[in-house]
Amino acid sequence: MQPVRFSGQFADWRRVSRRLLASGAAPASLTWQVDGDGEDLFADAPMAADEAAANTPVRVPRDLPALLEQAARFRAEDRWALLYRILWRVCGGDRTAMLAGDPDGGELHRRIKAVRREAHHLHAFLRFRERDAALGAPQFVAWHDTAHDVLDLGAEHFAKRMGRHTWLVATPEGVARFDGQRLHYQRPCPADIRAFAEGLRDDGEALWQAYYTSTFNPARLNPKVMLNHMPARFWKHLPEGPLIPDLMSRARAGQQRLAQTAAVGEQPGRQVLIARERAQPQRQLPSSLDTCRNCDIWRDATQAVPGQGPAQASIMLVGEQPGDHEDLAGRPFIGPAGEVLARALAAAGLSRDALYLTNAVKHFKWEPRGGPTGRSATRKHATPKPAEIRACHGWLDKEVREVNPRVIVALGRTALASLLEVHDPQRLRLADFTGRPFRHLGRWILVGPHPAAILRAQDGGAALYDTLVQALAEAARLQQETEDSAAALDG
Amino acid sequence: MQLIDKLTVLADAAKYDVSCASSGAPKRSSKGKAGLGATDGMGICHSFTPDGRCVALLKILLTNFCLYDCQYCVNRRSSDVPRARFTPEEVVRLTLDFYRRNCISGLFLSSGIIRSADYTMEQLVEVARLLREEHEFRGYIHLKTIPDAAPELIAAAGRYADRLSVNIELPSESSLVRLAPEKNVGTIKQAMGAIRLGEEEAQAERRAPSFAPAGQSTQMIVGADATDDRTILHTAQTLYGAYRLKRVYYSAFSPIPQSPASVPFEAPPLLREHRLYQADFLLRGYGFSANELLGEPGNLSLDIDPKLAWALANRAQFPVDLNRAEPRLIARVPGIGVLTAKRLVELRRQRRIRYADLIRLRCSMDKLKPFIVAHDYRPAAAGADSTALRRALRETPAQMALW
Repeated sequence: MQPVRFSGQFADWRRVSRRLLASGAAPASLTWQVDGDGEDLFADAPMAADEAAANTPVRVPRDLPALLEQAARFRAEDRWALLYRILWRVCGGDRTAMLAGDPDGGELHRRIKAVRREAHHLHAFLRFRERDAALGAPQFVAWHDTAHDVLDLGAEHFAKRMGRHTWLVATPEGVARFDGQRLHYQRPCPADIRAFAEGLRDDGEALWQAYYTSTFNPARLNPKVMLNHMPARFWKHLPEGPLIPDLMSRARAGQQRLAQTAAVGEQPGRQVLIARERAQPQRQLPSSLDTCRNCDIWRDATQAVPGQGPAQASIMLVGEQPGDHEDLAGRPFIGPAGEVLARALAAAGLSRDALYLTNAVKHFKWEPRGGPTGRSATRKHATPKPAEIRACHGWLDKEVREVNPRVIVALGRTALASLLEVHDPQRLRLADFTGRPFRHLGRWILVGPHPAAILRAQDGGAALYDTLVQALAEAARLQQETEDSAAALDG
Repeated sequence: MQLIDKLTVLADAAKYDVSCASSGAPKRSSKGKAGLGATDGMGICHSFTPDGRCVALLKILLTNFCLYDCQYCVNRRSSDVPRARFTPEEVVRLTLDFYRRNCISGLFLSSGIIRSADYTMEQLVEVARLLREEHEFRGYIHLKTIPDAAPELIAAAGRYADRLSVNIELPSESSLVRLAPEKNVGTIKQAMGAIRLGEEEAQAERRAPSFAPAGQSTQMIVGADATDDRTILHTAQTLYGAYRLKRVYYSAFSPIPQSPASVPFEAPPLLREHRLYQADFLLRGYGFSANELLGEPGNLSLDIDPKLAWALANRAQFPVDLNRAEPRLIARVPGIGVLTAKRLVELRRQRRIRYADLIRLRCSMDKLKPFIVAHDYRPAAAGADSTALRRALRETPAQMALW
């Protein structure tokens, strides 16, 4: 057995272990000793024959140093021996040594977890007591019992939280002090500072105790879960700690049925006296479209999306149904398909403001894609069924009658099926109608591809886009022609 | 009324909203700066109350005066409870004081509806503005969003808050009409839609001011009406998909003083709420769909967890060979979580996975034994029928009550 003495700091262990590896020292042949005063550093570490080789960094998997650094914070007799054994095995080509499924790796990960948990306990359960400002720095003082070496992790955390406040945190490991600018450490913790930090109380804690008592729901008493998350060893330093046994016993003694805090229930109450009608919030009267329940699509949609445009527009564009963005905002053609349409309108020389834009189906029908909540989750458009198109036809028909356009452009099969009251788009072939305007119930109807189909097209959709522009340009021409002939009749 | 008395009333009034998460905020630090507070994306539970719930935020109502008469709510106008109202400055004082003591990571502020939705929302936004602008508070802020509030108020709330939430309250429109006559499912969903659009606008442009960077959540009350778990899970799945919610919280209805006859006198078993959370976790983390977990109308089983229930109903997919199967399938084995599945995949790149590895990874062996194949293990009971397995694996009644 060869003793290895070093400072107990991770950085020093790293240097020493590098030399040991270079000299081929097997883990079983070493005993690790921490030498607190830091003298004679490395004196006992066996020197490699070749000094240069000993200083050459050893190649290890990228995440190994961080894993070892974290596990080194775990207080145990064999903390350095375990780390060296793992390092030795990994450098020897056995990478399983650092994995949770391996006996050594399993212990490594168990320790890392315990260290993280202890750092978390420090972040969570430490309580600062406030000192009178006249006493000077530190203004906030805390004592916290830590089972592992996590003081610096906590100190960094509190430096971020506390701004320029001055504070002191004492643990068995040492003292961290923040002077408003910088952190200072002292290890180990002197007895007088411990006594000062542990003994400090202030009278500002009653508010927190009142909050803790009130936010507790006695109807759901569940001490096991509480103890699991907040072990009893922390209670004595928490201002709320002394309240816990009493709150539990009172909850057991009969409050269990009600969630209300006793101190609140004992006070006289008062109703808010207001007539039912006056309490009703002022909302715009829901249009009957909003409350339409002719089919089931409304259930998963945000809102019905009505048409938009001048009440007397002479051209009406009818799409299939609102999409993801349209559903959220309540306006038609504002998503990606709306952008394609805007480009096509510009190319055809039409102004969107002069047109009435609407859809054959007024609610957004969709299904989740990419898992319900994954990062890639989107709402995938689902094609409305013939029955749903039929159920919504009345709303489209109402818009057509009220706006009374001269020309209607049906964008896609669903729009056409609804306008012709065929309702089943499968029975129509878009190609039969494309480029062939026809008269229907006293109006021109033109057919073009839906802008969303252009977006979905495998070939980039250039040909479909041209067809759309042509249909829109043709609509503009027909509208002009009918206007001219109407003017001629009037004239 | 003294501040401490208001705090007693308004914390009691706020505890029925179960969310207390302080996670998901961007990194902010006050190190060496004026002001106070930091966030780093990780939530911290600063305390636990004896009901086992985390205390991460100061969760209070600005006031529990309320015009609405939601039957399940202790603060409804017809309820005979003590009423109180904080000034915005009082909320600020409490938040900063508790924060400096390291009792909390931030504020979760909600309110009864007073005067109008807009007025109420303005008051909530004013508290957040004071904290952020006057006191340079960089801790976590969660604001309840009042449906029906003007879009510009929701936009202002999103600028100051890390998280916004609008409560869906009940899983079906008909229940909402019956039990919360002043609320409207349409305006609730529209508020959620407005928040999602706000988030996406902020994400689209790098220099855009941030908007609720920790996302939005909602709460559904379970057991105040007769809705079954299947409808509840479908509603949750729809909300997750439509509004990119970070979380749906399920709150078992708590009987309240002077309970109206329209709501039950007894609380539903807390185990039902627990099973819903488990199922929700499977939706969010494991790629299960609501239909897979509960294809038929009805409730989740209370005696076994939803993942085990799914596995028992889908025996054809098992046993899963841990040395060959896709990681996604491994995570679907009862007793193996996403993290363990990842660790197994790492391990099998180095060598074959053996039965003892699973013990070392602290898997629940009883649960997973019938469903896996390892290098040195095949389930003896692979042929055992699901009914017998279920009987063997059900949680004992002693564990069923959460008290």
